[in-house]
Amino acid sequence: MWTWFHKLGSPKWFYDISGRWLPWLVACMAVCLVVGVIWSLLFVPQDYQQGLTNRIFYVHVPVASISLAFFPLMAIAGTVSLVWKMKLADVVVKVAAPLGAWFTALALASGSIWGIDTWGTFWVWDARLTSLLLQFFLLIGMISLRSALEDTDAAAKACALLSIVGTINMVVIKYSVLWWDVLHQPPTNFTVDNSQPNGPEIWIPLVIMFLGVYLFFVISLILSVRNEILRRERRAQWVSELAAQ
Amino acid sequence: MMKPHRKKRLGIILFIATGLTIAIGLTLFALSQNIDLFYTPTQVAAGEVTPGDKVRIGGMVKEGSVDSAQDSLLVSFAATDYAHDVIVQYEGILPDLFREGQGVVVEGSLGAGGVFIADRVLAKHDENYMSVEVKKALDQAGASAANHPLMPES
Repeated sequence: MWTWFHKLGSPKWFYDISGRWLPWLVACMAVCLVVGVIWSLLFVPQDYQQGLTNRIFYVHVPVASISLAFFPLMAIAGTVSLVWKMKLADVVVKVAAPLGAWFTALALASGSIWGIDTWGTFWVWDARLTSLLLQFFLLIGMISLRSALEDTDAAAKACALLSIVGTINMVVIKYSVLWWDVLHQPPTNFTVDNSQPNGPEIWIPLVIMFLGVYLFFVISLILSVRNEILRRERRAQWVSELAAQ
Repeated sequence: MMKPHRKKRLGIILFIATGLTIAIGLTLFALSQNIDLFYTPTQVAAGEVTPGDKVRIGGMVKEGSVDSAQDSLLVSFAATDYAHDVIVQYEGILPDLFREGQGVVVEGSLGAGGVFIADRVLAKHDENYMSVEVKKALDQAGASAANHPLMPES
């Protein structure tokens, strides 16, 4: 049962297999993003209340949703790295932090732009916005922590623990709109009935955008992981052979 | 099988995670009054807001309560949670989404006589999205499920 698990820990194995997946993933992402962007920005019906403004929903929601996935991902990878000392797991914790910071910044920015037109302000210190900003700073802290600690093992340990703290914050972000009085709207309940609010004409393009943005995240993560593997294994035989090709 | 030293490390991590979750959970629970973005009209009626303090109040714009001056940007309306109302006065440009029945958050202070003088009015929008056609059809059916954003229960 553990063989696949140990195989996954081999940087070389991951480098080989991810190289074979990448073209397919990129093709799927391109299709989803092209269809999704055109559909959601040009063909979604105007909102009864927000007009064209709420089309930013199709960018903001997938980006914000993926930005919440980073800390759980890093916490799982961090735990694996602490308990099993798997090389690849710490690589994931390391490269996910800057990616997560970018996605969080995008979620904050797209939300602010949406807010200017609907709320009448780009920022308010409510629980949702503040906790997401805290996540951004935690990720910046994680990047700094990693570069401040010379000892790679110590850095791996510290970052793995910080990612567990960040996961608690992620739960707070997720439920902030339900636990407290905030300005941000709660999550939408979608329906299959087109004569009701939030019907398929609203969510089908959202699903396509979700697929595109998630694939973009997976591809960025794989590329960063491959890059870091080459950096860490630069003295290994297989890397020199690869470089000689 | 998991080796004993791995099991031990996993145990330590789970212990730290549980401890942190409980600590942060208790802190947030203790602070939850301060985390809320605004007071509700019911809290204002109960005297929880000191006149003169800079606070935010959240409520729905009461139907038929909006009164705009003809020659200035002065506007007054009632913010309600359907249990109590607060009369709000504001001079300035309102957000596009401001309308009767809409959720708003107003920032300012409670003046003498219980009128809230706002420096800023923010519009809340709910989590329901639909086309103009769907909205029209729903209104005609008399079942407007679309307008129920603010949730005054506390």
